[in-house]
Amino acid sequence: MDGKRLSVSGVIMGRVITVTSGKGGVGKTTTTANLGTALAMRGARVAVVDADIGLRNLDVVMGLENRIVYDLVDVVEGRARLRQALIKDKRLPELCLLPAAQTRDKDAVNAQQMIDLTQQLRAEFDYVLIDSPAGIEAGFRNAIAGADEVIIVTTPEVSAVRDADRIVGLIEAAEKGPASLIINRIKPRLVSRGEMLSVEDVLELLAISLLGIVPEDETIVIATNRGEAAVYDPNSLAGRAYINIAQRLAGEDVPVMAIPDQQGVLDRLLSLFGRRRT
Amino acid sequence: MSDLINIKGSRDGLRLRLDANAAWSELLSRLDHHLGERRSFFHGASVVIDLGDREVSSAQLAEMLALIRQHGVQATAIDSSERATRMAARAVGLATRPVARYSEPTPMPDAEALLVMRTLRSGQVLRHTGHITLIGDVNPGAEIIAGGSVVVWGRLRGLVHAGALGDSSAIICALELRPTQLRIADLIARPPDQHPINRPEFARVVAGEIIVDGWETFKR
Repeated sequence: MDGKRLSVSGVIMGRVITVTSGKGGVGKTTTTANLGTALAMRGARVAVVDADIGLRNLDVVMGLENRIVYDLVDVVEGRARLRQALIKDKRLPELCLLPAAQTRDKDAVNAQQMIDLTQQLRAEFDYVLIDSPAGIEAGFRNAIAGADEVIIVTTPEVSAVRDADRIVGLIEAAEKGPASLIINRIKPRLVSRGEMLSVEDVLELLAISLLGIVPEDETIVIATNRGEAAVYDPNSLAGRAYINIAQRLAGEDVPVMAIPDQQGVLDRLLSLFGRRRT
Repeated sequence: MSDLINIKGSRDGLRLRLDANAAWSELLSRLDHHLGERRSFFHGASVVIDLGDREVSSAQLAEMLALIRQHGVQATAIDSSERATRMAARAVGLATRPVARYSEPTPMPDAEALLVMRTLRSGQVLRHTGHITLIGDVNPGAEIIAGGSVVVWGRLRGLVHAGALGDSSAIICALELRPTQLRIADLIARPPDQHPINRPEFARVVAGEIIVDGWETFKR
């Protein structure tokens, strides 16, 4: 079964996975949208939840903004039932979005309400992906409150990695760990010139398991502006990377992606996983 | 060290034990002085305050909490064998624990050491009155603050303050010493911008300056 688990009562329950980062602008929302789409393309039932109340984005990236009637706060405050607020994706009927409220702020929801909400969602979906707001305040704490697993997104920049390290510490303290890592927007040419942190540098500092790497790719910008996930585009390198990550989330053993025209980086990446190129 | 005030570090954090018999106003002024003198150690700390069997009103307690807050210290709980004091503490929103009416003041051994095995990550602080040994890395943005010496069996990339209660004979050593900053007693040092050495090193105070050397030169 595709990542399904049995609860104590014997009902099949989905996994609640929060995507977070500490620093803003590293690609949490893009990651949530693409992983959710990739998992749904595999046939899994997926709910993506925008927990960034007041700064909602996930609906825009997924091209669903004009279908919003009710939002997460409406559900929590009882103005709408969960089913009413969930928006079906344009292409994939198994993919649903629970949008954030745009006219409220982070204090509109508390941690217990988020836990209750994720419990409702996990009864109906195989995967519940929560897009966390940046920062370490209430919004972040709400986003991880109901999580079984946490994915930390970082870019290979000192400031983003520093914030990711802070987040790892907070997740350990909240006993939500162990967290896994996605390193986004790798520019192989800069890494090989020693002008960007390498995957190894980041892993040495953060010392958590690597879920995947995503290369810098302009198809992401194009896809985002169109409101379509990059995983639909067979020519998108980043899209392929997200498909690989979704496969790993589902428990498959997929080698870390080769980033083209950069042999040195490829060798180093493979050696991280104890594999040799043949 | 003031005989009215006793600090003790333990795995659970810092414990500030205040004399139960001295006049309240004197106790507060000693506390003010005590925290002010050890500012670099206490700033940002959370403490449990043990008031013994003294009866303290909520107004007095609020006065004391305001005082320690001025020194950047936060109380996490009040220990007292006096019921009225515990009620006053709960009234200002603090956790309380009863302590035995007769507990001998625990002597604080100079060399009490704390052993911790984990990675210290950005934003995390390890604080102890004695020595600290950490088996693991100190990442950038993390801090160790010790009354005594600090040993890091790992990479030291954050900030370490040894001898933070004033002991300039404290040393700091690490397998890889690449701190953002080192402090010993009241001295502060920043590593040179280029510091490519990858070998165990130690830092100590020599003639009013923090000096870093390779571990092989260490002599007791």
